[in-house]
Amino acid sequence: MNTSKVNIKDLKLWYGESEALHGIDIEFSEKRVTALIGPSGCGKSTLLRCLNRMNDRIPGCRIEGQILLDGDDIYAPEVDVVQLRTHVGMVFQKPNPFPKSIYENVAYAPRIHGLAGSGSDMDELVETALRRASIWKEVKDKLHTPGTALSGGQQQRLCIARTIAVQPNVILMDEPCSALDPIATAKIEELIDELKREFTIIMVTHSMQQAARISDQTAFFYMGDLIEFGETGTIFTQPEKQQTEDYITGRFG
Amino acid sequence: MNNSTQPNNFISDEKKLRQKRRERADSRFHWYGLTALGLALAFLVFFFVDIIGQAVPAFYQTEVKVNIHYVEAAKTNYNKAVDHKLRRVVSRAWLRTLPVYLKRHPELIGNNIKQWVPADSRVDQYIKQHNGHGLKSKYQRIVDAMAEEGRIRQVFNIRFFTSGDSKLPENAGIFSAAVGSIFTLLITMLIAVPIGVMTAIYLEEFSEDNHFTRIIEVNINNLAAIPSILYGLLGLAIFINFAGVPRSSALAGGLTLALMTLPIIIIATRAALQSVPSSIREAAFGLGASRWQTTWHHVLPLAMPGILTGSIIGLAQAMGETAPLLIVGMVAYVPDAPDNILEAATVLPAQIYTWAGESLRAYEERTAAAILVLLTVLLSLNGLAVYLRKHFERRW
Repeated sequence: MNTSKVNIKDLKLWYGESEALHGIDIEFSEKRVTALIGPSGCGKSTLLRCLNRMNDRIPGCRIEGQILLDGDDIYAPEVDVVQLRTHVGMVFQKPNPFPKSIYENVAYAPRIHGLAGSGSDMDELVETALRRASIWKEVKDKLHTPGTALSGGQQQRLCIARTIAVQPNVILMDEPCSALDPIATAKIEELIDELKREFTIIMVTHSMQQAARISDQTAFFYMGDLIEFGETGTIFTQPEKQQTEDYITGRFG
Repeated sequence: MNNSTQPNNFISDEKKLRQKRRERADSRFHWYGLTALGLALAFLVFFFVDIIGQAVPAFYQTEVKVNIHYVEAAKTNYNKAVDHKLRRVVSRAWLRTLPVYLKRHPELIGNNIKQWVPADSRVDQYIKQHNGHGLKSKYQRIVDAMAEEGRIRQVFNIRFFTSGDSKLPENAGIFSAAVGSIFTLLITMLIAVPIGVMTAIYLEEFSEDNHFTRIIEVNINNLAAIPSILYGLLGLAIFINFAGVPRSSALAGGLTLALMTLPIIIIATRAALQSVPSSIREAAFGLGASRWQTTWHHVLPLAMPGILTGSIIGLAQAMGETAPLLIVGMVAYVPDAPDNILEAATVLPAQIYTWAGESLRAYEERTAAAILVLLTVLLSLNGLAVYLRKHFERRW
């Protein structure tokens, strides 16, 4: 019923000598939220960072296998990483707005990719992005004040606005709420629920409740292996594997 | 609080003793710190008071009012222009300019004009009551008599700023050294800052962390600690002997100082780049910025205050440097300011060094005055560094 957006085939990854992912096979469906859960060091963030090739920057990092985005291998030699990252956006654990104005934060990526000029086109694009990240009302009167002066939750929504300004297909979120208080977290979760109408969202989270609340599908990783993957409802109520159940119920991890 | 002797976990004799000991150690440490600070301040104040006290007289020059005979003979022998007994009173440097002046103004010939002219440096020092003025007693009596007649005055010593070095102290100034310093520093800046900053950017943002870059890194750190005179030898070998840059020129000196300043700028720039949080780089990469865009748009602006401060401190150090310039021939007698970077030039610290070795008393105050000028420039440069850091930091 769901079309596959990202298809990972037998993905292995090494940091130098140590193998961090041992052959992962997984498919992420379009316009759904997939949560990646598992104890620290299980490879879920590593996997996430393979999807927009952020791992390329890490010396000694090497991968095998295939990652297909809409059927195209993103690790094929002719792929331009810059282009790939406009299709696969990323939101980080700690809100990291640029120390520039709110406007500049959102306008930066469209500008370097030539999506809009600097006139009213850009104004419109910035407004749309901020609206879609449900932060427009809070910042519309102070677009030219520093993005770093906002509260943590607002900063994270600004980062989301910045990411969706280039119209990616997939948004990767690496524990987007772990640095936020419950109220700010609730707002981000609400936002994710909105965003999945347009974007395929893959998020890493340490909060079982969060995974249960907002994801459609959940993948449980342990020690570099994908243990179980399925509909969130099923994973949280009738997991197939004992390990998954132990982790979800808090018996380990 | 309670005056009873019942045991209290917080107050026992042993604990009180320990507390006292701890407090004594604290206050001892406090006093060590204050003493050190006080000593440092005392030295600094002594240094400044001494330098300023010695330098101030150099900004005044004694003038004497004498009869100048504008005669035909003065065109060839300037001594004929003043009375015999005043020859040692009037500045020889001024008298020397007379023949040319007379040739330009022939209408003056035959006149006998009473006018203020600069005094000889010995007279100047005698009037300033400096020990070792070197004025013979015969002339002392003449000068005393002139002083009583009101024919002696002190005016602002503009020559100190407008003329170059001279063997006659009343005519010696820092102008040529200042011009030389500016040329040299400009070359150092134009070479060392861009190369240093680009090297640091490459090492920090682009290069991989491998054996090769680590060797380079260690070497750069070592270069910063090399005695500066060795850079003079390197400059001599590379720029003068190999590349054929003229000896004593601002170009040779500037290039040599650039070599010396490079490691300082590289280290400061790398530290500034390292202090930019990596989350900023990730954000930019995550949005599809290239490495160059990430560095240029995000990392560099944030590192700018540190880079500027480091560069200015490095340049200020280069400006105060004498040793390497000794080897490339810039510590020299250079009376005329250089017109371009290939002419023989000297720099302020070298001028100070030269004057400090002169025997005439009048050079002593000029040495102090030149030190004061150099210090002022260096303090201004450091002030500029502080200002720029504050200014750029305000732009979030």
